[in-house]
Amino acid sequence: MNIMISILSHWLIALTLAPLFIGIIAKIKAFFAGKKGPSLFQPYYDLQRLFQKNSVYSRTTTWVFRCAPIVNLAAVLVLSLLVPLGPFKAPLQFPGDIFFAAYILGLARFFMIIAALDTGASFEGMGASREAFFSCLSELALFMNFITLALLTHSISLSSMIGADIPMSWKLMGPTLLLVAGSFFIVILTENCRIPIDDPDTHLELTMIHEVMILDHSGIDLGYMLYASALKLFVFAGILLPIIIPIQMANPVIDMLIFLSSMLGLSVVVGMVESTMARYRLNRVKNLLLISFALAFFGFVVKMWRG
Amino acid sequence: MLTLLIAIPFLCALAVFLPVSRDFRLKLFFVISLAHALIVASFWSHQPLEEYNGFLVLDSLGLILLSIISFLFLSVSIFMIGYFKHEKRSNRLFTACLLFLLSTMSLVAVSYHFGLLWVAIEATTLFSAPLISFHRNQQSLQATWRYLLICSVGIALALMGTFFLAIAAHDVHTLLLPVLLKGASSLSVNWLKLSIIFFIVGYGCKMGLAPTHSWKPEAYGQATGMVGVLMAGALTQCSFLALLRIAQICNKTGLTEFYSSILIVSGILSLAVPAMFILGEKNIKRAFAYSSIEHMGLLVLGLGLGSVGLFGALFHMINNALAKVIMFLTAGSVAQKYGSTRSDEVTGVIHIYPLTGILLIAAFLAGIGMFPFATFHSELLILNAAIISKHYLLAAIGVICLAFMFIGVGKIVLGVIHGKPKEPLLAKKENIYMNVAIAMAVLLLIGLGLWMPRPLENLLHNAVSLVGAV
Amino acid sequence: MMTSWVDTSCIITVFLSLIILSNYRVTAMIRVFALQSFVLSLLPFFLHASSLSGRDIFIVLVTMILKAALVPYILFWAIRHVSMRSEIKPIIGFGASIILGALVIAGAFWISLSLTLPGKPASDLILPCSLSTVLLGFMIMVTRTRAVTQVLGYLIMENGIFLFAVSLFDVMPVLIEIGILLDIFVAVFIMAIVVNHINEEFEKNMVSVSRSKMGEAF
Repeated sequence: MNIMISILSHWLIALTLAPLFIGIIAKIKAFFAGKKGPSLFQPYYDLQRLFQKNSVYSRTTTWVFRCAPIVNLAAVLVLSLLVPLGPFKAPLQFPGDIFFAAYILGLARFFMIIAALDTGASFEGMGASREAFFSCLSELALFMNFITLALLTHSISLSSMIGADIPMSWKLMGPTLLLVAGSFFIVILTENCRIPIDDPDTHLELTMIHEVMILDHSGIDLGYMLYASALKLFVFAGILLPIIIPIQMANPVIDMLIFLSSMLGLSVVVGMVESTMARYRLNRVKNLLLISFALAFFGFVVKMWRG
Repeated sequence: MLTLLIAIPFLCALAVFLPVSRDFRLKLFFVISLAHALIVASFWSHQPLEEYNGFLVLDSLGLILLSIISFLFLSVSIFMIGYFKHEKRSNRLFTACLLFLLSTMSLVAVSYHFGLLWVAIEATTLFSAPLISFHRNQQSLQATWRYLLICSVGIALALMGTFFLAIAAHDVHTLLLPVLLKGASSLSVNWLKLSIIFFIVGYGCKMGLAPTHSWKPEAYGQATGMVGVLMAGALTQCSFLALLRIAQICNKTGLTEFYSSILIVSGILSLAVPAMFILGEKNIKRAFAYSSIEHMGLLVLGLGLGSVGLFGALFHMINNALAKVIMFLTAGSVAQKYGSTRSDEVTGVIHIYPLTGILLIAAFLAGIGMFPFATFHSELLILNAAIISKHYLLAAIGVICLAFMFIGVGKIVLGVIHGKPKEPLLAKKENIYMNVAIAMAVLLLIGLGLWMPRPLENLLHNAVSLVGAV
Repeated sequence: MMTSWVDTSCIITVFLSLIILSNYRVTAMIRVFALQSFVLSLLPFFLHASSLSGRDIFIVLVTMILKAALVPYILFWAIRHVSMRSEIKPIIGFGASIILGALVIAGAFWISLSLTLPGKPASDLILPCSLSTVLLGFMIMVTRTRAVTQVLGYLIMENGIFLFAVSLFDVMPVLIEIGILLDIFVAVFIMAIVVNHINEEFEKNMVSVSRSKMGEAF
């Protein structure tokens, strides 16, 4: 019974809050551009609008195309169960759950890619191939980060990796954690298709990666896809933030406040990064991802050096 | 006294920038070189006091190097007078850099502190760079660039070696040589080994040991003869002095085998590499550059082979310098007369300039080590040391490489001397200054080859015991 | 953050060297180098935060002015003078250089395992990070073809040597000042490039001048 309650409350929090942060990022970008920008709750309005519409399916698509949005959203929801959010502990934790997390993400991504290929259009195919390539490199960095964190905290469960041991680790292993945080930030930008890897606002064929894959979805399916990407950002932030701000008070209200304000801070930072940089040329993106890997590897080396 | 030796050329170098005539600069340079030579000659009879709390000290090793420097600068100053009769370019920067070089090289010879030694060698690199690009054309700039790049890396590595030495000498708390020698047992062996490796690679870069020799053919090929003399005859020997200083510490701390093995390997490499490249060469100066690499290899080989080899190496320092005077100054003389030093563009020198031709033959024989030139004796001593210490294969390889050098250099030089005479650029008159400068060195080298003066022998034996080789 | 500032500076230095290794725009490389020099020049402050001496302040100021301001300025001037644009592809390609750079860092740490600094250094990361920086700088120098980027690689090597010298701060006097002399040497060397008009034509030809053209001057 307790498990059910914690799972449901986890999902409640994630589903309610996730679109808000997308809205915050958009607002920050508008602020930097000198515009008033859309309302903070615009993503909610978008989702509401989309869920009231019907989906249109192309005649060339098959069942793959229809089930991809559902699989995507479901996978990200399961992922959110593995990550602690504020005072709420992760309902699902077992040794080795980092591999489960990485592969659940892989499942979601796989379905998105084959759905894009399923449409038979060349733009989607292009986006799919880019997404496949970049995710290879970002998974490299992701796993390197996980290895380092696992060595630091002597466990391979996501919750304990980013849990109580971290404050002490900062004292001794500060440099490693700095490097892991930096590398992970780049991974966040990659996985969630932010500048400088991908521009979420552009709809030009030659510059899209993620946007192009969801180009053909409409109505409820598009709603699911948008929700899934918002949730993904939320969950990734939930992994990164306890590493950077490892403060755990006993009081749940304060913990929630800390969590929310750090999420706000991260959204602001992502918004600033998006506003001040341009999207890299595609072969430079490869270099950026390799740098992210090199950072994580460096963190690993420092950890081995320090014991 | 020692400070004067360093300060006076430095101040005169600054004075050269004043608006004075070309002739005045040449005469000033000659006077300073002469004064330097006389002061150094006085050091042979009575040793000067140490200065600045032991930072500047003249010992036998330093005296060998100082005498070489003095003689080289003196012959260059005489040669310059003849050279600039036909050279239109301004000699302001040239003379200034030469004087700076004189000052900093003297500093290298007398520094007893490893940090100061490093600073002095860095300064010599700095001041020798503008000299290579004297003619300001594309290739000489490129040669200067390559020289600066490779030697800078060498300098940086040598600096790291100095730092490692400082760490090894943590208990002794200073980098002064005599203190390091006294406290040799307290030096940390691991750091000392690392420091030795970096010293050999770093200062070896500056000496032009293989595999960091690639700047030599271009730099010596582009620089005028006078610059070639100073670089091949004095600058490289300054870096060799740095290796000798570290050898002193090695022998005291019992790391003799460690550094001997490294030195022997570099020596043989530096003998083999020029032998491979000399045969396709057509330019005299580049051929002489390869010969310089080979001689550096011999020096380092001698250092690594114990006290007999060391005696030969120290004697070879002197002979090599004198031989380089002859070689590069004649090449410079031919270059000025014909505008090139390639054996396909210059032929029949001996028919038009008989004296220069004869001196060129002398240069070839001296550089190769033919009796009665003293280089024969020093090369023989080093190869002998190889045989005494049972490195038979080493001696065999050495002889084969020397034979290759003989064939290679001989082909080019004889090609330039004989054959149908080509038209020179200048008048068909021999230049007295140039020939006197070269002849001085020839006579000295032949003299040394026939008879070893007692003071020199004592000095060399002193130096060998100073290094403490076994 | 509860890490020591010294640790952070060391890590940032190596990280910035990696960035330079993977970058192809010369202006960006020079700016990152200026940042790296700035971080390094603050190290004596971090080491002796409790008891600053005149010597510390002198070294911090001289290094900051020389390496974080003067040398980048000269490099920018050199680029303008030869109107250099972006770098052509380096010898081993950017992706491969990053991977190789990461391996080089691991190698440097491995070498440092067998070396122990005497006395009690402020941070045990100084030695391996300085070795990594030196090796990365050397890599940059060896894999680039343009003169200005080769100089930049050398400057990074030098930064690594400076980092190492700082760890010897208390071991022996005068060593860091010698290191600063090395910096002055490099500054002069860069000026020599510009003053002697080493231009873009020359740089393009630098790698591939045919042998027969060498040795032409007298």
